[in-house]
Amino acid sequence: MDATTLLAGVQAYAHAQNEPDWLLKLREQAVAAYFKLPLPKFEKISYKDWPLFNFTAPTATVSEPVTGELAATAATQQFYAVGDSTIQLTLPAEALQQGVILSDLRSAIQHHGDLVQTYLMQKALKLGDDKLTALNTAMMTNGFFLYVPKNVELKAPIEILQVVDNRTQQNYFSHNLLIADTNSQVNVIQRLASVGDQANAAHVLVEVVAEANSQVNFAGIDTLDCRTTAYLNRRGYLANDAKLDWELAEMNAGDVIADFDSELKGRGSEAMVKTIAIANREQTQGLDTRVTNYGKKTVANIVQRGIILDAATLIFNGIGHIIKGAHGAKADQENRLLMLSSKARGDADPILLIDENDVEAGHAASVGRVDEQQMYYLLSRGIPKPEAERLVIRGFLAGVITELRSQRLRHELNALIERRLTDGND
Amino acid sequence: MSTLVIKDLKVSVTENEQERLILKGVNLTLNTGETHAIMGPNGTGKSTLSETIMGNPAYHVVSGQILLDGVDLLKMSVDERARAGLFLAMQYPAEIKGVTNIEFLRAAINARRPKDDQISVTDFLALLDKNLAELNMSTSMAERYLNEGFSGGEKKRNEILQLLMIQPKFAILDEIDSGLDIDALQVVAHGVNAMASPDFGTLIITHYQRLLNYIVPDYVHVMMDGKIVKTGDAQLANTLEAEGYAGLRDELGLDVPLTDDDVE
Repeated sequence: MDATTLLAGVQAYAHAQNEPDWLLKLREQAVAAYFKLPLPKFEKISYKDWPLFNFTAPTATVSEPVTGELAATAATQQFYAVGDSTIQLTLPAEALQQGVILSDLRSAIQHHGDLVQTYLMQKALKLGDDKLTALNTAMMTNGFFLYVPKNVELKAPIEILQVVDNRTQQNYFSHNLLIADTNSQVNVIQRLASVGDQANAAHVLVEVVAEANSQVNFAGIDTLDCRTTAYLNRRGYLANDAKLDWELAEMNAGDVIADFDSELKGRGSEAMVKTIAIANREQTQGLDTRVTNYGKKTVANIVQRGIILDAATLIFNGIGHIIKGAHGAKADQENRLLMLSSKARGDADPILLIDENDVEAGHAASVGRVDEQQMYYLLSRGIPKPEAERLVIRGFLAGVITELRSQRLRHELNALIERRLTDGND
Repeated sequence: MSTLVIKDLKVSVTENEQERLILKGVNLTLNTGETHAIMGPNGTGKSTLSETIMGNPAYHVVSGQILLDGVDLLKMSVDERARAGLFLAMQYPAEIKGVTNIEFLRAAINARRPKDDQISVTDFLALLDKNLAELNMSTSMAERYLNEGFSGGEKKRNEILQLLMIQPKFAILDEIDSGLDIDALQVVAHGVNAMASPDFGTLIITHYQRLLNYIVPDYVHVMMDGKIVKTGDAQLANTLEAEGYAGLRDELGLDVPLTDDDVE
């Protein structure tokens, strides 16, 4: 699509949605940025030929709810959307009384325009970052919006299910915003799934702003099917003494490029990123996880573990970047991959960029095979080889995500891992 | 009754890219209902024997046979041997983070049952509770990750817990007493003794006579330099304790190095 056509399409959509002028202006700048900026570069991940750019002008598509297994999950969610359509929104009365806002992006633009304007593409992500974030900003049609006011501590997790609608060919540009204001605490579980058998591209941005002294625990469980080619970007911004814990499970079956970055802007802020992934069949998943220490005494931790089966490719880039002035900063990372097939391709690349002296930085990386001693132990108890292998592998992954707060979530994850490992063997 | 027969077994391992013969012709017959102990100095091949029976790929059978009720175990994989009725309580059990003790035990039990007759959760938990109590183990241990962060003593107890849950025909206990204090030793012995039945046989591998005060063997075999050099009853263990392996070697007129005196 050329610049004029895209601009006209974006303008028409903004008018149809009665969007405020500031947003129209932002979208127009985004169109220009999209054509000007290069694609973001991720070491050893080549995605320029993926069908991520087969989009049409933005429209407000209406999607029906899903049925089956996914519908059962949907029923328990605080936020549930299919395609651009928000199907379900609930918040406990207590959270509402405390001023927590959970809505979709469209209505947040109308009803909480000032908040959206303050944060959208202003702190976590910015328009000049790269081509893909610019494209999303120009094209975004919906997403979730969660605001937790100052001093509010939400105990129960906010669960969000977003389903990419592959029942018809359509765009999916989702832009999500989570703001944890000063001194607040929140747990969020975001599930990305898909339905239908058409091939679509999914562009998903999540901006997480953790204001001073806030604590955000963000679990992402992504299970997009093999027909969904995805660009996932989850970006955290941390103010003074804020803590952000990411636990991300990439259980997608299609080609995925994921950019999971956190900016430790505030003094004493801490980010922990734990990612697990399974790649199988012919799929490629490239995960670029970066934490940048700007503030003094900031702490960055990255742990990534992945399994590669069949002829799949899985790439973990772990980037620890300590900016000049970040005295006393710490950056640590561990990237480990297990290859279960001779045709599998994998890379675990630790990249440390250190521009300050009085800091601590460490890394570990490995690409290996299943632990023979663990296998022998399980076999010696009579557990057949395929099952023993699955247990060892599951342990390798699940051992990382030990902090998952609820047992229900752990079971869900174990079942997902099991399903991914046996996919194609039955 | 079941019988485990080991015939003229010779086994080597690869050390520094060279094959070294460890077992030099071991003969042994175990029947269910019997308790056998193998004693011997360090490095004499006791653990090699137990690992070879289980099928550890690091040990290479040069010649000989291992038969369980006439069936050739050497043609079977490790998991097949286990399902045929063998159990090895290991000296160094593996740790597996991310897999709980409970799900591991269920997988082991269900591996022995037909697909359409897997153990129910209620039956499994009842069995588990009973065996945990037998070993003075807390239920929380069953929910922990498999051996992960377990102390030496906890690992040994966990091996015996598996033994009680799985109920094999033959158990080989490879230095189950190492690293145990006297209380833990008694608990472990209690667990093993609880298995006693005409359908269960034990092969205990140990350096020390101490364990045999609690699990009294019917037969004691002494192994030196890759061979069983003497067999006797429980009294033999006491004699060894008093006189040491060197005394027995000299009495038998053997010209074999004992690890303890060739470490120069």
